[in-house]
Amino acid sequence: MRPFKYTNAKNISSATKLLEGNVKAKFLAGGTNLLDLMKEDVEQPDELIDITRLDLAQIKIITAGANSGGISIGGLGRNTETANHPIIRQNYPLLTQAILAGASGQIRNMATNGGNLLQRTRCSYFYDVNMPCNKRQPGSGCGAMEGINRMHAIFGWSEKCVAVYPSDMSVALSALNAAVTVRNAGGQERSIAFSDFHRLPENKPEQDTNLNPGEIITAIEIPKNNFAAHSYYLKVRDRASYAFALVSVAAALELNSNKIVQARIALGGVAHKPWRALKAEKMLVGKEATEANFKMAADAEMADARPLEHNKFKVELGNRSIVRALQMAFNSGRS
Amino acid sequence: MISIKSINSMEDKNTITGTPVSRIDGILKVTGKADYSTDHPIKNPAYAVIFKSTIAAGKITDIDTSLAEKSPGVLSVITHKNAPKLNTKGGIRGGAMLQSPDIYFYGQHIGVVVAETFEQARHAAHLVQVKYEKKEGKLDFEKLAEDAVLPKDKEKADAKRGDAKKALEIADVKVEEIYSTPIEHHHPMEPHATIAEWQGENVILYNSSQIVNGAQSAAAATLNLKPENVRIVSPYIGGGFGSKGGQWGNLVLAAVAAKMVNRPVKLALTRQQMFNSVGLRQRNLQKVSLAATKDGKLTALAHEITTHAAMQDEFVEPCGDCSKIMYDSPNSLITYRVVAMNLILPTYTRGPGKSTGSFALESAMDELAFKLKMDPIEFRLKNEPERDPSNGKPWSSRTTVQCLKEGAKAFGWEKRKAEPGQNQQGNYLVGYGVSCGTYPAHQRPSSANVKLKRDGNNVTATIELAAADLGTGTYTILAQTAADALDLPINKINVKIGDSDFPPAAGSVGSVGATSYANVVNDACIKVTDELIARSGKQFFVRPTAAKLMISENVSEFQTRADSKELEGAENYSSHSFNANFAEVWVDISTGMVKVERFLAVTGAGKILNPKTARSQIIGGNTWGIGMALTEESLIDPRWGNFATRSLADYHVPSNLDIGTMEAIFIREEDKAGNKLGVKGIGEVGIVGVAAAIANAVFNATGKRVRQLPITPDKLL
Ligand SMILES: Cc1cc2nc3c(=O)[nH]c(=O)nc-3n(C[C@H](O)[C@H](O)[C@H](O)COP(=O)(O)OP(=O)(O)OC[C@H]3O[C@@H](n4cnc5c(N)ncnc54)[C@H](O)[C@@H]3O)c2cc1C
Repeated sequence: MRPFKYTNAKNISSATKLLEGNVKAKFLAGGTNLLDLMKEDVEQPDELIDITRLDLAQIKIITAGANSGGISIGGLGRNTETANHPIIRQNYPLLTQAILAGASGQIRNMATNGGNLLQRTRCSYFYDVNMPCNKRQPGSGCGAMEGINRMHAIFGWSEKCVAVYPSDMSVALSALNAAVTVRNAGGQERSIAFSDFHRLPENKPEQDTNLNPGEIITAIEIPKNNFAAHSYYLKVRDRASYAFALVSVAAALELNSNKIVQARIALGGVAHKPWRALKAEKMLVGKEATEANFKMAADAEMADARPLEHNKFKVELGNRSIVRALQMAFNSGRS
Repeated sequence: MISIKSINSMEDKNTITGTPVSRIDGILKVTGKADYSTDHPIKNPAYAVIFKSTIAAGKITDIDTSLAEKSPGVLSVITHKNAPKLNTKGGIRGGAMLQSPDIYFYGQHIGVVVAETFEQARHAAHLVQVKYEKKEGKLDFEKLAEDAVLPKDKEKADAKRGDAKKALEIADVKVEEIYSTPIEHHHPMEPHATIAEWQGENVILYNSSQIVNGAQSAAAATLNLKPENVRIVSPYIGGGFGSKGGQWGNLVLAAVAAKMVNRPVKLALTRQQMFNSVGLRQRNLQKVSLAATKDGKLTALAHEITTHAAMQDEFVEPCGDCSKIMYDSPNSLITYRVVAMNLILPTYTRGPGKSTGSFALESAMDELAFKLKMDPIEFRLKNEPERDPSNGKPWSSRTTVQCLKEGAKAFGWEKRKAEPGQNQQGNYLVGYGVSCGTYPAHQRPSSANVKLKRDGNNVTATIELAAADLGTGTYTILAQTAADALDLPINKINVKIGDSDFPPAAGSVGSVGATSYANVVNDACIKVTDELIARSGKQFFVRPTAAKLMISENVSEFQTRADSKELEGAENYSSHSFNANFAEVWVDISTGMVKVERFLAVTGAGKILNPKTARSQIIGGNTWGIGMALTEESLIDPRWGNFATRSLADYHVPSNLDIGTMEAIFIREEDKAGNKLGVKGIGEVGIVGVAAAIANAVFNATGKRVRQLPITPDKLL
């Protein structure tokens, strides 16, 4: 680990100013991702600005604005507390399930909501500084493209990068049309729609998100919805727990008896960002909630997949997982 | 959920041996007081961090350490340019001791940074600049396998009985399939770690060692010292699974570093470094061909193995061993072929050869039973050999039949549907699988001191031997053995092991630890009592205990040493532990995820010294077997030769949630053909056959036969 300076941020304004003033500085939240990457020499900040003492951990019902009636979760709230908050459990169980499907109890106790959104890919070529990786070192090439790419993307990848984004929490947030509230050093706040928060790799895989330099995530807002009774997070992985997804599906249905009023489907483990299955969603609106319709929607969505050498299975797996997650959502989580 | 339902081996009335005594070192361990290698308190240590090659084949043309040397806290940077000359044939495995610029595998040690702190050393290691002349490496096993040749090891020569090929040609029913097992890594909880401290010409190495005397002789020979100049201290070991049996470059590099900075040095490998520092279980392609008559009598058993070794050295795990002895077939063929690769030297890995070999053999047995429309248990019973088919020797004892029958009853085997895919429960397909396993049983030469001390009427005993406790329970079973042999309460026994200053002992390897250690301790305790009787000059009607003699004869201190080996005549028998494994799996119909809902291992392993620690050994082996079956695989990128699976986030060992109900049953037996206590050893047999039982259960559940481990969800879609 390279030597670095440690600074304890007093308030939000000083935190963002410190970050803006030093391009090589990084915020330190739970540290569960950043410190690992520093030990591997992947991240090389010369200063860590500890933001864990900032007053940004509240979970509260939004009382004004476009998302009024929805919920706001603090950027520095811990994953465990967020998942287990009574309002989240009751009104946004999809988020609870997704968070609890990730990492381990100990890591979730440390991990923050903002840090979770900004966690970096688990691609082993990214992690190994002796391997080529355009995300880590622009221009060095993509090790995974013709390497071992079983875990990699089937949607939205570019010649520059085939990595997938690993967060489970974000897959649920994507399905729930969340928005990320960020603040810059000048004190200005802006809200970024979740679908615009993470990027596809295109020509700039080194940039994971559309966060500007110096911005801090203060909160994540989830609009009010009618999905609580019919939502499900399915995570398929190589072992029963403590593994990143091969494919995951966040599914939510709003029903009028058996008719689908609204459907939300987001996939994890398949792209550089949570992959909203918009095609499938659109096909389901107004239809009966039947296995045949679920299958038709899954087929349509997965038809666009572009698998790599070792991850062809993800197309079939993704298809089946969409159907299964929708069925589970329809059955209120009972198989 | 784990249920305790172990049957004691014998009705050991009034003995503490054979009872489920909890680990006597348990409190030390759970309170953090057990000092594992680098935990040992040491004054003023420096910290060493190894750095590694980033090519798989070629040579270093330039290595610039100037930046690293100037980095804060750095005391020394050691490379092949300034390392002292070592004896590379001294018994350290895998090379990688900075003796030349040549590179044989990716991740070979090429240097060591020593600094005031670990962090400073690790940082400076990143600052070293290396230039290479790269050669094309031998890295693609799939392609290289065609060029594999007969191993140098005589044990791996072609073994033929009858004419298996011909029998296969004319067979009624046969199976001919290739089974593939991946590279696996040991990954004990405690990575390999050493403190080296020089005292003049002598060096003390606090080092996790499964074979204390082996580590001593290898370190001494490599460092050009006499064995008496090297002391190995290894009281606690955080697992090893074979990777701490032989010793690797890191051990001697710690000693070299300590010499060069003239201070004690701590050197611990990181988890990432563990992938290419301390051996691995090699990739195996195993072709198994079985032929049988229509009524299920085997007529041919051929097991042809292709694997890889390192460029400079050969190690071939004995995948054909189970096939040699498990079933009665008039025609048998076992062959090995090996190809050198630019990879670290493979090594002993829990159940070496048997766990991988049994996957192939026991899967093929299941496939043939299915073709014969026979129950797989019945099929095995039908081919049970009276004697060891490989050499005609009688069994010292063989419990396969009992293991199968008792297991079938306990597991509810009768509920299994013979046709696959017939047992659906909601979103799951449920299946049952069975397999058998075996592992050789031996006592190896070992010596032990017993030292008696009397304080008034209080007599205590100290046992000393250079044994190892891998976390398996050696301390506890030796205290039990001594307590019985001396007729003292167990809390009067002080067990001291893991130090080469103690009498030499076998390693805790190859399932010989418990047998070798318990027998020599028993012998020493009997001997000390005999000597006290002789010393008294009296005749006794009832043999007195050592403690009584110490008191009645007013002796305050008395000690002796015993040297024991396998009983004479042992070589006339074929001695092995045996097991039968039963698995119930639930396979998710949509996602292909497999859950081992229940697992039962029935084991015949001679006298069970402590059913509690024995059970832990068995379910531990079973758990790794579940990992082998479902999750564990190390992948090489053949373009560079590096492991693409490079941390425990990529190399999946089973998590708690992957483990269902585990049950261990022991067959009541004592096998005294080879050793007085009738012990057989259980360290390895627990993993043997496990992967096959699970693969067979997956077939029974789904109708899909997976011959390439691990059985990850993608293989079941
Ligand atoms: C072994 C292991 C297994 C895991 N398994 C899973 C899994 O299965 N699923 C899953 O989803 N995740 C998994 N994770 C990842 C885990 O969820 C993340 O490490 C965690 O959420 C990161 O949060 P943190 O607060 O520790 O972030 P940090 O490591 O502190 O920060 C991460 C990044 O975010 C930046 N940052 C943090 N907070 C803010 C903020 N408020 N504003 C702006 N920038 C900020 C930091 O500067 C840094 O660049 C796993 C992690 C480990 C170590």
